[in-house]
Amino acid sequence: MRRDLLYTVLALAVLALTVAPLGGAVFLLGFVYGDSPCVMCWEQRAGMAIIALIGLVILRHGPRPKYIGLAVLVAAWGLFMGLRHVGMHAARDIGQGFSIEILGAHTYTWAVLIFWIAVVLMGALLLLMRESDAAGTPPAMQPLGRLALAVYLVVTAGNIVQAFASTGPPPFMGQGDPVRFSFNPQHWVWSLEEWSPAPVSLRGRWAAEKPGYAGLATDPAKGPLANLPVLAVRERKMLALPIRGTATDLAYDAATDRFLLTTGNGVYIADGSMSRVLRSTVVDPGYSIDLGRFAGAAFLDSRTVMAAGENKSYVILTERDRPDADRNFRYFLESFEAFDEDRRSRLGTVRARMMYTMSLAFDPVASSLYTVTVPNTQTKRLVISRFDRSDLTLSEEYSPALDPASGLQTAGPQRSLHELYVTGATVADGRLYAVSAAYSTLIAVDLTTHRVVAAHAIPGLERPAGLAIRGNDLYIVGEGGSVSIVGKPGG
Amino acid sequence: MEFLNFVLMFVVALLLARRRSHERLAFRLLVASVLLMVALFAIATRTALLPGVNY
Repeated sequence: MRRDLLYTVLALAVLALTVAPLGGAVFLLGFVYGDSPCVMCWEQRAGMAIIALIGLVILRHGPRPKYIGLAVLVAAWGLFMGLRHVGMHAARDIGQGFSIEILGAHTYTWAVLIFWIAVVLMGALLLLMRESDAAGTPPAMQPLGRLALAVYLVVTAGNIVQAFASTGPPPFMGQGDPVRFSFNPQHWVWSLEEWSPAPVSLRGRWAAEKPGYAGLATDPAKGPLANLPVLAVRERKMLALPIRGTATDLAYDAATDRFLLTTGNGVYIADGSMSRVLRSTVVDPGYSIDLGRFAGAAFLDSRTVMAAGENKSYVILTERDRPDADRNFRYFLESFEAFDEDRRSRLGTVRARMMYTMSLAFDPVASSLYTVTVPNTQTKRLVISRFDRSDLTLSEEYSPALDPASGLQTAGPQRSLHELYVTGATVADGRLYAVSAAYSTLIAVDLTTHRVVAAHAIPGLERPAGLAIRGNDLYIVGEGGSVSIVGKPGG
Repeated sequence: MEFLNFVLMFVVALLLARRRSHERLAFRLLVASVLLMVALFAIATRTALLPGVNY
């Protein structure tokens, strides 16, 4: 491309960037509509202004490598800023953005697009630039370039005015939730809130660790509930099934007298005596939706099972007489003729969001599935989520409270049910039974009143991973393959 | 602080318009402006520096 044409294109790009996003933001959105940028918007606006300024520097002094390099770095940082900002709002419900919406998208979304265009334009101009243009004395600034510079000065002056009114002189800086812009000093709010001490983190509340047993206290006497009655283990045995990996959950189907056992990604159906595997497969967790590591299992009916990962993603498998082995190759890592995969999706939660689960229970009476959260370092809440079987959509969600009539009490004012670490659950008689690996405690939650109506200590449990009910017995499978059988409370 | 940053940019633009020979000073001010922008954004997002989404 000819050098003068190249500079014309660059001047037009600078002019467009200066007038549309920068000028429009300050003069139209700011001075006319009273919009005040949040602190992140301010920095994205500054990034755009710097890119335009580097364009002017190149128009004046030529395309030196350090100018081009700086422009690329600022555009890359701008893209990151835009993505960081979009990440705060992009996953919310329809239309739930932040601040002003322009042509169907909020300002931070436009920032991503603008920085992306800047990167593309820089690449295109570099591609079209002749090597001889990179060296030598740059030409005198064209009228279009001078116009761009003049407009830039005016727009930047406008930004100086708005920045002074909205954010104040140093050390004041932009705010997370700024007040509406006004030329009246009485309405100016200058804040130092961003300078207040706060923990530095890469991912904030998203830095939740994967669930596990490490560090869990197991002594029921030190748990959040005081003076729990003891539920003695009536029988304990070791699984003798040929399974790969450690057990992660257990379920029972009375109609066929079979157990369902899961491992990290294995699904095993065993006979009622737990001595023989009748059917099994290993699911490919990374195909399509990431299932993670299975932590919950349930019979949906005598031929349909569901396995849920810690991340609340799930797969539904159906036993069929003639599974399509060729089709199943994509879903399973082995045993392609054991099941058909019918569905793979995710359970969406609200209160249980940002927490993993390690349990799954199915209530055929209410035709509902239940999960119970495990706390993490970022979020500590015991939340029971109910999903209707028909559409596997969240239908109810709550944190259970102690039933006053149960006589249960916390061990102190600072203790709560949120300390429990539920790793297995099952439903019977309108109650959700949940076993907590922390403090080896079994709780019974009335599914109508949402209250904990009973709780027992079960000393000696070894990393309980799953809970199933068979008649009046509760089967608790340990991660290491032990099976502890206790009588159902009140059963 | 944003006020200061736009003042820096304004000064750089003025140098481009009026003092072409002050190229090195303009570039240094430009770099200062970039660093200030990066620092302010990092301060504002220090409790979660990366986008809050699944990776």
